[in-house]
Amino acid sequence: MAARTEPPPYPVPWTQGRVAGWVATVDHKRIGVLYIITSLVFFLAGGVMALLMRTQLATPDTDFITRDSYNQLFTMHGTTMIFLVVVPIFAGFANYLVPLMIGARDMAFPRLNALSYWLFLLGGIVLLGSFFAEEGAARSGWTAYPPFSAYASGNGQDLWIVGLHILSISSLTGAINFIATIHNMRTAGMSWMRLPLFVWAIEIYAALLVIVLPALTAGLTMLLLDRTGWTNFFIPDEGGSSLLYQHVFWFFGHPEVYVMILPAMGIISEVIPVFSRKPIFGYKAIAFSTVAIGFYSLLVWGHHMFTVGLPFGLQIWFMLASLTIAVPTGVKIFNWIATTWRGNLIFDTAMLWALGFIGVFTIGGLSGIFLAIFPFDWQVHDTYFIVAHLHYVLFGGSMFGIFAGLYYWWPKMFGRRLGERLGKWHFWLTLVGFNLAFFPQHFLGLLGMPRRVYTYRDDDLWTAYNLVSTAGSYVMGLGILAFVANVVWSRKHGERVGHDPWLADTLEWYATSPPPPHNFDKVPYVTSARPLRDLRRRMAEQDS
Amino acid sequence: MGSTILLAASGLTPVTADSPNAERIEDLYWVLCAIAGLVLLSVAVPLVLFVFRYRSRGRDRTIEGPQIHGATRLELAWTLVPIGLLVIALAFTFYKLPGITLEAQAGERELEIRVEGRQFYWQYEYPNGAIAIDKLRAPANTLVKLVITAPDSDVQHSYWVPGLGGKFDAIPGETNDTSFKAKVGVYKGQCAEFCGTQHAAMLAEIEVIPVDEFDSWLEQEAEAQEAGDSDLGEEEFLGACTKCHGPQGEGLVGPGLSSASVSDAENVAQIVRNGRGRMPAVGEEWDDRQMDALTSYLRKRFAEEGQSGG
Ligand code: HEC
Ligand SMILES: [Cu+2]
Ligand SMILES: [Cu+2]
Repeated sequence: MAARTEPPPYPVPWTQGRVAGWVATVDHKRIGVLYIITSLVFFLAGGVMALLMRTQLATPDTDFITRDSYNQLFTMHGTTMIFLVVVPIFAGFANYLVPLMIGARDMAFPRLNALSYWLFLLGGIVLLGSFFAEEGAARSGWTAYPPFSAYASGNGQDLWIVGLHILSISSLTGAINFIATIHNMRTAGMSWMRLPLFVWAIEIYAALLVIVLPALTAGLTMLLLDRTGWTNFFIPDEGGSSLLYQHVFWFFGHPEVYVMILPAMGIISEVIPVFSRKPIFGYKAIAFSTVAIGFYSLLVWGHHMFTVGLPFGLQIWFMLASLTIAVPTGVKIFNWIATTWRGNLIFDTAMLWALGFIGVFTIGGLSGIFLAIFPFDWQVHDTYFIVAHLHYVLFGGSMFGIFAGLYYWWPKMFGRRLGERLGKWHFWLTLVGFNLAFFPQHFLGLLGMPRRVYTYRDDDLWTAYNLVSTAGSYVMGLGILAFVANVVWSRKHGERVGHDPWLADTLEWYATSPPPPHNFDKVPYVTSARPLRDLRRRMAEQDS
Repeated sequence: MGSTILLAASGLTPVTADSPNAERIEDLYWVLCAIAGLVLLSVAVPLVLFVFRYRSRGRDRTIEGPQIHGATRLELAWTLVPIGLLVIALAFTFYKLPGITLEAQAGERELEIRVEGRQFYWQYEYPNGAIAIDKLRAPANTLVKLVITAPDSDVQHSYWVPGLGGKFDAIPGETNDTSFKAKVGVYKGQCAEFCGTQHAAMLAEIEVIPVDEFDSWLEQEAEAQEAGDSDLGEEEFLGACTKCHGPQGEGLVGPGLSSASVSDAENVAQIVRNGRGRMPAVGEEWDDRQMDALTSYLRKRFAEEGQSGG
């Protein structure tokens, strides 16, 4: 044998093992993927809860699940979808994308970032684990109004509070990290007016979380103490005020709604121009409307409390402030539509979700105007009209935006595209099912059906609308199954793509798909809000 | 055929409004529908038009549309026009508002009734002290003011009879009020704020009857309750007990009731006033008249059933 010697195997550090590589990672991209996958799993869990409830409500006087199970389900469905799906999945998108979009190598505090994720997972396990607590999970709604939530027996409510505390810390550290990253780590030339609109949305998302999460934490801590019997902040029998809780909760709760919609709007602002082959129409108007919506969202919490007997002047103030938000929201919608004008519209699945978003979210926004008019709200507050409205903005808005983002960035994250054929099944089934499930709920509310009821009186129209709604929810379920199938299918069969399959505008598409741990070898100097298009044009000029 | 269309059409509107305040809220609804419809059209029409008109039709991805970055005039237009529409909605709201918060005219008769939300029944108290449970009787074409609250020891509820106007929360330690003025008829409603296991069963009903009929009924009812020969006991049983103990007292959330468990009036009063185990103190603030009505009714009812069932 010749003297050819194999080099000794290079010892791979344990932190790069197949599993440990994910557990010990502080890479923003891996953390982002962990966030997204975990949220999607929770999304399936929340969806199953919804289907159980819709089955119970398909016809009146059904004995499919017990009253108490139903009450646990609507509590946990809402809590799961808000705290374990929409808010964290945006943290996942932001983790993955913000450093790439601003040309940074990682987040400002990578270890804190890992902590955020693991706290999120822990909070999720505590919340969902509470189903196994004594007397089951919490059953006082995602709003947990005292005195009911203070008196509720069993440990489910306590675990619910603890779970939310953990998730709040997770969101808070994440938010601080995003702000630090966006403010300090933009690459050369990336001025505020060249920042991708998704990053603008995350900036406001994070700022709102930092402002309002402490209020939630304070309120929940007081509630937990009340439950132990040591204090009586919210217990009227001992001189406390249950209304105080509502103010504290909604001071957090309303901005939370914008925490859940602004990033989706950011995604739409990225997707529409790329698939219209045009620049975004009115960049500045969209960026400033994001700031305006964020600001006004802090002033409108009372519109959730129009029926508690607020002084008249306050009701009028909350009505005016709430209506004001419709204006910057409308500005965004009209700018998106103008972006498609005279474009070369390519209907890849990401674009379908974005266009679908505009349609259904507009309906949700308009029903919001009805609710802001407080005398009308006296009629429909706490009815199925609200259930319809909130699903039009949170499913039709946030989730449609999330799906647009998943189809758009999936190739960047995993190197393969999601399938178009299954993608279209996913979109159309979900769109049709969604409208079947939720549009009739407006009418149920108008007809007098309150929310959070495990059964309802047998009335021709009530029964008919409920049946349609349940059928729609099953169609939505099929749509989501198509998505799951797509994810599984694409792992092996998804088309492999290069670094920039959509001919996009922003810097994340400059990196390989998926990007290396350090993201970029070098970052081009940014001279506009569309650095990648600039680069493509410079290269085309050099070629010719 | 015609009737089904009518039925379907009627399902797209709020419950028929039968009180001036509810009627005005319904007017608001239609104005808001018109404005929302206008906005929806102004979004949907261009969206559908552009999607159709500017679809790619196989054009390559590299082909770009014109590089238009915005237009200040358009931005102004779609800021100012919506503001204008909102101002119209607001103006109409303020125009209708006084009629929605129904006030008594000078010299007009006003009947004030106290409504208490309790797990899981509504207790009404008329000015002369008569009590009713779940089902309220009210005089026709008279301003009826409901003062809505909940006992300090209870949880939050929300009183809502959609045909007669908006809902108001029954909050321990707070009072809210609302009024209605209705024609003869029966109006259904139910609790709108989640209040526990049987929130869905917390129904309410208002039966509006002619004024003189109401006046004489109310007087008789108060006397009968004083004398202890009214139907109050039965009302209490149906409203406050059956939601947990079953429509016939056969057991549901709580155990079945039998002549054995209800024959001792002292014991029942004890349980109802203080609760026991998972049973809340449903009658914590009941006076003796109410409690006696319940216990004597229970004794009678379950003794009879014991005989007939045996
Ligand atoms: C919220 C549900 C609920 C309501 C409303 C309710 N109960 Fe109960 N009741 C229970 C439960 C649960 C028990 C079993 C308590 C235990 O021992 O843990 C019970 C037990 C009882 C008992 C004792 C039965 C026995 O076999 O020892 C009596 C008597 C009783 N209830 C009477 C009433 C009456 C009278 C009313 C109406 C005024 C009423 N309850 C309303 C839930 C309810
Ligand atoms: Cu709100
Ligand atoms: Cu209730």
